[in-house]
Amino acid sequence: MSRWRHLLHLALAVLLFVAASSRAQTQVVLDPTAEFFDGSVLHELRLWINTRDWETLKTNFLSNDYYPADLKWNATTTPNIGIRSRGNGSRSGFKPGLRVDIDHYASGQRFLGLKSFVLRNNTQDPSQMHEWLSMLFFRRMGLPASREAFARLFVNDQYAGLYTIVESVDKSFLTRQFGEDSGYLFDYEYPAAAAPYYFEDRGRNPASYVPLPFKPETNENNSRPEVIADMVQAINASSSAVFRSAVAEFIDLGQFIRHVATEVFLADQDGIVGEWGMNNFFMYRPQFSNLFRLIVWDKSQAFVMGQAYPIWHNITDVPDANRNRLMNRALEYPDLRALYLDTLLEAGRAASEVPVATLPGDTRGWLEREIDRAYALIAPSVLADTLKPYTNDEFVASVEALRVFARERTPFVNADVAASR
Amino acid sequence: MLNGVLAGLLTLLPPGLQSKPAPPSSPTRVTQQAPASDVEFRWRDHPQIRSGRLFRLDFLAKFQWDARHPGDDPPDFDDFEIHRARIGIEGEFFNRVQFAIERELTEREVENPNPDVNEKSAWKDVYVDANISDAVQVRAGKFKIPFGLEQLTGISNLDFVYRSLSASYLAPARDIGVALHGRFFDRGLNYWAGWFRHDGDNARSSTMDGAGDTLAVRVTGTPFRSVRGLSKTEISGAFTVSALDNESASPNGLRGRTVMSQFVFYQPVFVKGLRQRYEVDGDWSAGPVGARAEYTHVLDSREGQGLADQDLSDARGRGWYFSGTWVMTGEEKERPVEPKRRFGAVEAVARYERLWFDSAGGEGPLLRNPRANNMLPSGEHVLSLGLNWYITRWVKLQFQTIREEPQDPERTPVAPGEAFWSPVFRFQVGI
Repeated sequence: MSRWRHLLHLALAVLLFVAASSRAQTQVVLDPTAEFFDGSVLHELRLWINTRDWETLKTNFLSNDYYPADLKWNATTTPNIGIRSRGNGSRSGFKPGLRVDIDHYASGQRFLGLKSFVLRNNTQDPSQMHEWLSMLFFRRMGLPASREAFARLFVNDQYAGLYTIVESVDKSFLTRQFGEDSGYLFDYEYPAAAAPYYFEDRGRNPASYVPLPFKPETNENNSRPEVIADMVQAINASSSAVFRSAVAEFIDLGQFIRHVATEVFLADQDGIVGEWGMNNFFMYRPQFSNLFRLIVWDKSQAFVMGQAYPIWHNITDVPDANRNRLMNRALEYPDLRALYLDTLLEAGRAASEVPVATLPGDTRGWLEREIDRAYALIAPSVLADTLKPYTNDEFVASVEALRVFARERTPFVNADVAASR
Repeated sequence: MLNGVLAGLLTLLPPGLQSKPAPPSSPTRVTQQAPASDVEFRWRDHPQIRSGRLFRLDFLAKFQWDARHPGDDPPDFDDFEIHRARIGIEGEFFNRVQFAIERELTEREVENPNPDVNEKSAWKDVYVDANISDAVQVRAGKFKIPFGLEQLTGISNLDFVYRSLSASYLAPARDIGVALHGRFFDRGLNYWAGWFRHDGDNARSSTMDGAGDTLAVRVTGTPFRSVRGLSKTEISGAFTVSALDNESASPNGLRGRTVMSQFVFYQPVFVKGLRQRYEVDGDWSAGPVGARAEYTHVLDSREGQGLADQDLSDARGRGWYFSGTWVMTGEEKERPVEPKRRFGAVEAVARYERLWFDSAGGEGPLLRNPRANNMLPSGEHVLSLGLNWYITRWVKLQFQTIREEPQDPERTPVAPGEAFWSPVFRFQVGI
């Protein structure tokens, strides 16, 4: 009997092992991009592009013309991809930011299941970490954000500098983040020369909102722009009595407040309540829902306002005309105001949390540890990067400023929150 | 002179509506005679001023208005347009020197934002031709590079509303240059040989520079003149060789577009080295029926155009067509047809053609990118069916429908594998 029991236990153990193995394999199969976006690793990417094309791309860096190239990452070589210069203020003819479109010349082609990704040049950020740290922090806060990792880029076998691999906000991202991709994704794109926009009412005409500043990224031929026009109407025209219910049909107010609070904690000057009106976000709603959710984008200007960036900056310390209409009205509700303050405190805890398993005397919080980890990972590559538009001393100083931010931001925010209660 | 003008304008009306039939031997020719030494006005094929053999000046005007609807429904497409409005003069001095000046009033591709790229000019033919002898004539200026039967056929005399795709995108069309030409054996053999500054308007656009120095040779013969039924058979061959430099920042190869909507089903690729064009064609008519066929073959070198700056296989463009015409009212097949009936002449036309691009002998995977060694073919088959109604020699109505079937499912304006029909009506006056 005992022998049979042993056999039974053995069989169960084998069964469990097989099940666990197959589950692990299934997970790998389900997320083939995890390794590519692993931020704990310094990746190496290689592009082969005709010499003349590379020079033309750099010369015409303001153009969005595509050029064919081959891509290699680890043992994976993907031919026949398209690359182009990208970015706004970060565009550069020396160290171009790149959009990598895997399917530009072959609609069905994928790289690890991806249709595209971005190679950020970080020309506006001497630390090279603003974007990467911000996205990591947004995800830590439970908010949808692109995965990112650092990579040494070689073009035609010549070192082209340190870049940040950025996951595109596209259908692959939507599927991973929301479990479906059939809905309506809009990229908030505001022309630099246009007057800042604060969600103010531009009337009921959908053309006042789509394709600018809300550019359809999915369902381009039927983007249902009237929903955005209705949302802006609800933000601006609904009475206080019905504002919550009217707006709640179009936007997840809780997520909106948390998104803004996280940006403010990161002292971002170019976000929803930035210095120049709204900027740098996507909005997504599922196919059979009008409820939009925000997706963060481009945080090169995070941290730059320093650890003493007031939590009400551009929210209550500016004239009415320069206040974000949605944020302004939302904060009239005590519970949403409390959520804003609570989220700031939560961000402070997330940034300064000291891991349990840590060496005695090491008081560095999560954010500072991530900065140190990234510095160790990228410093040799940044120092060897002769195409970056700043000196090595500026890089080191900028990283040190980040460390100071990591140490001092939480106490400052906590004090500001306490004063606001 | 006024009488001459009025008589000329009357000829624009259908024969049955003219007050007096033209003489049978020369139905619309000389309308007024004058002493050889005086300046006189005539209406031959065009309004004309001449002074005996001293000089002749012809006034030309061509007008085409189209109503059309492309079956691939491109956005912002204008279903009605003035397709051509050209004016010009042709003339001759001392029976030795000919000249022509022609300008397009509706040219759409002259506004070029990039001044470094050669613009298409609104000036069409602008040349002088010195007639030394039948065998030796020299033409200089801007004129059509001698290549391609359909391309060398004037816009007023086309059997179809649109030229064949190979004539529009593989043949060079006009450029500035100088050419030696002449004829032998009582026009039984004609030749053209010329040098041109570039390789024609068809190779240029707002983003394509086209090729540089171009040599062109064309020979035309009528070898069956003594054979009954084949006496009007003309067989020709031509080639051009052009230099392709690497100065263009954007791809400088040839392109392929759909007939009416001009959807680009083949984008230019990067080229450098030599561009070689070859063409053979045949033109036959007997009584009211006629037929034409043409095959064009273009090879573009791609020296150093690979991703690793390596040489690539030649980019290749090929096109052919076969067309047939039948003047159902019985008139001779000519260009233009001269109607002899009260209501004019009616002609049925049909053409089947193909234009396609790929690479010549490239190895590796078939790809669509402009630096692929082995390029995935892209092209389309086109069937054109129509009726031409020659109200007079100068006034023509064309009703045509065009079926296009793009080849590459990812480079098509319609659903993959689908074909589409596009109807077009053209009203043309050409004097």
